[in-house]
Amino acid sequence: MSRFDAIVIGAGINGLAAAATLARAGKSVCVLEQAAAPGGMATLRLDDGPELAPLLWNLSPVVLKAFNIDPATLGLGAPLPAVALDPGGAHIVLRGGWATSLSGETHADGPAFQRLHGQLVTYGALLRRLAEAPPPGGGTLLSQPGLAQLLRLSRLGLDLKRMGKPEMRRFLQVLLSNAYDLILDEMPDGPLAGLLAADAVRGNATGPRSPGSVFTLIYRMGHGGEVRRPEGGMPNLIRRLDEALQKTGCTIRTGTPVARIILEDDRVTGVETKGGEIIEAPRVLSSLGPKSVLGLTGAEAFDIEAARRIRHLRTRGTVAKVNLRLTAPRVPGLPDDLSAARLVYAPSADYVEAAFTPSKYGSLSEAPVIEATCVAAPDGRPWLSANVQYAPADLDGGWDDAACDRLRQITLDTLARALPDLPGAVEELQVIPPTRIAAETGAAGGHWHHAELALDQIFALRPGNGMGRYAMGPRGLYLCGASTHPGGDVMGLAGRNAAAAVLEGWV
Amino acid sequence: MSENRRYDVIVAGAGHNGLTAAAYLARAALKVVVVEKNDWIGGAAVSRSLHEGWTYSNCSYVCSLLRREVARDLDLPKYGLQVIPYEGGGSFTRGGDYFAYYSDHNALRREMARHSPRDADAYHRYSQAIMRQCRFIRPFLLRDAPDPASIRPRDLGELGYLVKKAWGLGKRELGETLRFWTMSIGDLLDEHFENDLIKAHLAGSGIIGTGLGVYSPGTAYVLLHHYMGDIDGGIGAWGFARGGMGAISAAIAAALKDHGGTIHTGSGVSEILTRDGRVTGVALEDGTEFHAPVVASNMDVKRTFLKHVAPNALPDEFRRAVERFKIRGSSAKLNIALDRFPAFPAAPDHASFIRGDMHVSESLWELERAYDDWKVGRWSERPYIDMLIPSQIDPTMAPAGAHMMTVFVQYAPYDLEVGGIRSGENWTEDQRKAMAETVLGQIEVACPDIRDRILHMEVRSPLELENEVGLTEGNIFQGELTFDQLFFNRPLPGYSQYDSPIRGLYLCGSSAHPGGGVMGAPGANAARTILRREASGKKLRGYAA
Repeated sequence: MSRFDAIVIGAGINGLAAAATLARAGKSVCVLEQAAAPGGMATLRLDDGPELAPLLWNLSPVVLKAFNIDPATLGLGAPLPAVALDPGGAHIVLRGGWATSLSGETHADGPAFQRLHGQLVTYGALLRRLAEAPPPGGGTLLSQPGLAQLLRLSRLGLDLKRMGKPEMRRFLQVLLSNAYDLILDEMPDGPLAGLLAADAVRGNATGPRSPGSVFTLIYRMGHGGEVRRPEGGMPNLIRRLDEALQKTGCTIRTGTPVARIILEDDRVTGVETKGGEIIEAPRVLSSLGPKSVLGLTGAEAFDIEAARRIRHLRTRGTVAKVNLRLTAPRVPGLPDDLSAARLVYAPSADYVEAAFTPSKYGSLSEAPVIEATCVAAPDGRPWLSANVQYAPADLDGGWDDAACDRLRQITLDTLARALPDLPGAVEELQVIPPTRIAAETGAAGGHWHHAELALDQIFALRPGNGMGRYAMGPRGLYLCGASTHPGGDVMGLAGRNAAAAVLEGWV
Repeated sequence: MSENRRYDVIVAGAGHNGLTAAAYLARAALKVVVVEKNDWIGGAAVSRSLHEGWTYSNCSYVCSLLRREVARDLDLPKYGLQVIPYEGGGSFTRGGDYFAYYSDHNALRREMARHSPRDADAYHRYSQAIMRQCRFIRPFLLRDAPDPASIRPRDLGELGYLVKKAWGLGKRELGETLRFWTMSIGDLLDEHFENDLIKAHLAGSGIIGTGLGVYSPGTAYVLLHHYMGDIDGGIGAWGFARGGMGAISAAIAAALKDHGGTIHTGSGVSEILTRDGRVTGVALEDGTEFHAPVVASNMDVKRTFLKHVAPNALPDEFRRAVERFKIRGSSAKLNIALDRFPAFPAAPDHASFIRGDMHVSESLWELERAYDDWKVGRWSERPYIDMLIPSQIDPTMAPAGAHMMTVFVQYAPYDLEVGGIRSGENWTEDQRKAMAETVLGQIEVACPDIRDRILHMEVRSPLELENEVGLTEGNIFQGELTFDQLFFNRPLPGYSQYDSPIRGLYLCGSSAHPGGGVMGAPGANAARTILRREASGKKLRGYAA
């Protein structure tokens, strides 16, 4: 039997970030991970395939600071260009916010796109201030955390004022609206509008016409809207984080699933692993979502209202991973300098909305939205790693082999519309449906953000009203995963913020 | 220019809000004229006799939102306004069952328990939650929405009031309020209820008049928008105005005339005249000109600024913002004269709930599919219908023994898709007939003999609503009720206080805060703003300030 100041369940990016933040504050921490290696969704692989989440959007420098890592030494790679695929072959290349044709001419809607993109990045920087701290509500107004919150909010207010009246008003107008209207007010519908609409809804069970999709679009731009592929892939990045964490003296135990969280007198006292070992600690932080935590403590640990809120948390995953092994590390039909680009198949914003419609009723999109990037698996072989949306976790008839085959075919057919030579270059296809993602990583519904990133499930309301400050139920029990503020996206802020909130109340 | 065409204030459009604003201004002893394009007044709050002996409330059809402060200030009961609450409602199923909604608590509880005992318990919690939100929002309806970018004392004061009210809720309740404002009616109902029929019955108010589906975030607010009214203090109750909805407009018009105001019908505004950034009057279609230093437009923001103000009189940014304003038609209407009372075979004899609003949607998913049809430019294959027979309660609506039925239809797009082209022009006679067939098919679920009862039927697509009433795209709220167009964003950020870039030109219709419905609040608020800003000093002749 061993004793720690805190136990962190799950060694995904958020679990690692929480542990690092606590360890840096001099606390003894034990991280328990069910899989054989840390990384969670970032590193999940099938057989010899590439990792589940190969790209970085929003890895927060604040998080790297907790690991005591200089971002410059991390090899995060250069920002990747994006290609908005066009079924007619007139693909559009995006570098920064600049749109050109394959041959380099500025696209007709390029200036409009650049303006909108710039606006979203500015708004994203504003929201980032909120993302980098626990939601307000901790402590009394005059306590140290209370004053820190007040200071942060005043700074946000100042930032808003500094934008000038017209921009501030526009921000407050569009923040809660829908991406479809925002985009189409600025440019005609087409692959550029489709790309933005697709980015607005990726990972969520929502369409671009649903209010709230502007928020998720801005959120995606939180760290400048650049996408990167870390050198050596995500496993390499996670290894660096893991090493940095070990240097702090933190214990990381992989292959150790947790069977239950032990409670005494409505207080957490430790956990019992599936192997029957008991590890003691007065605080447990769980990267798993609240529904899974409920399973580890038993529903009786929560009052009726909290249990009801947890039960009603919306966690319906809609993205399936399809990995296509290629004969060569290039995408047929695109020039070589774009072989590592982020490819988006969403010919129009209307297309994205139409793809969403069947998923509401538990059906696969016959014409899905696809985001794909050519990456190398750890063994060096090239794969096109594709996120196919919408493929709902609660598919009618379930995710049996026939459904996976169907998705395989749909994915190939859809990509072939823009890249006709692609199917000939594919040697093997892997399908990872949301249910599989859920089973392997513990993310409820296989949802990218562990819980729908909707307006009524963000900020202090994430994952539920009364649980927004990471603590939930019995004393000493905390959430630190993507289901808490500010959500997922391999950002690490949820874990880091959770640990900060735990430290605020440390006695 | 003759002296008798000089006024203190001209109100463009005799909708209920225009009349309300005019009545308040006339009450303050200003010389007011209302100009109206139609030969009748009322806008969408109108009673019309399109079939000998029958009266149709042919646009808006039930009343609840009319602010009691407005009724009291203008003394509307004195001018003949009577609002009679109806008792309940019901949803019929294709399988021959029904869910009846009663205003009586115990009756409702028993009926809910018949479908689901758990839901009967949940309803208590649900209605309390809604009531708390109603109480929170009601004080804001007759106040100005503060401009968050402004540091004028008045805006700071209003903002302070908002913060105070929000703070007063307490942490938990504030969280609930934020959730309520941002969630979908579908998710809200799923959290409380398990029975599909009960959920479908309650969901209707969350989508009426909007271009959103039951699972679109923000529809819980739309539900609130329909619940925040009251009749004689009964919050959330709905009723009929005796004589149809036109009785409301008629009462306000009578109050207006009593205070010395005039109404000029039969010729609409062709242009709002401006000089050097200041409004000077209006030119009518028949060539007449009226002059005044203040013009209040009852028309929606798009119509006002894009159709009736010279383009060069407006800043480009403002014009663009107006062009971006979302005002989408999503509903149609059938008004039917019945030879006698239609049979409702599923309902018990003399069931009281038949006097209320009746529906035939059976689940939230059916409603969501109805929205999917609208998104792609078709009317719903199985539309949501809100069907009432007011002549059961108000005998003035139809000859003795005969009845009048009003059927609100959601969803019907303005820009109907035909052969790949989406346009309001596609609403031909044939298309309207085809839509009416779809709706009659829905009505038959509740009353199978409906087709045999019809003596006359008026079918109104969003296009008719636009052409006749003047609501752009036939949107009943003069603009979508989404976050980007509510409160300080309504109609446009920076112009939420009824004003515009043109000095002296104000909006007093539902495009302005707090939005649509026969509420009178935008009109009353606009009048207050006009009095405060324009009647101080000696600009206007009235005494009030």
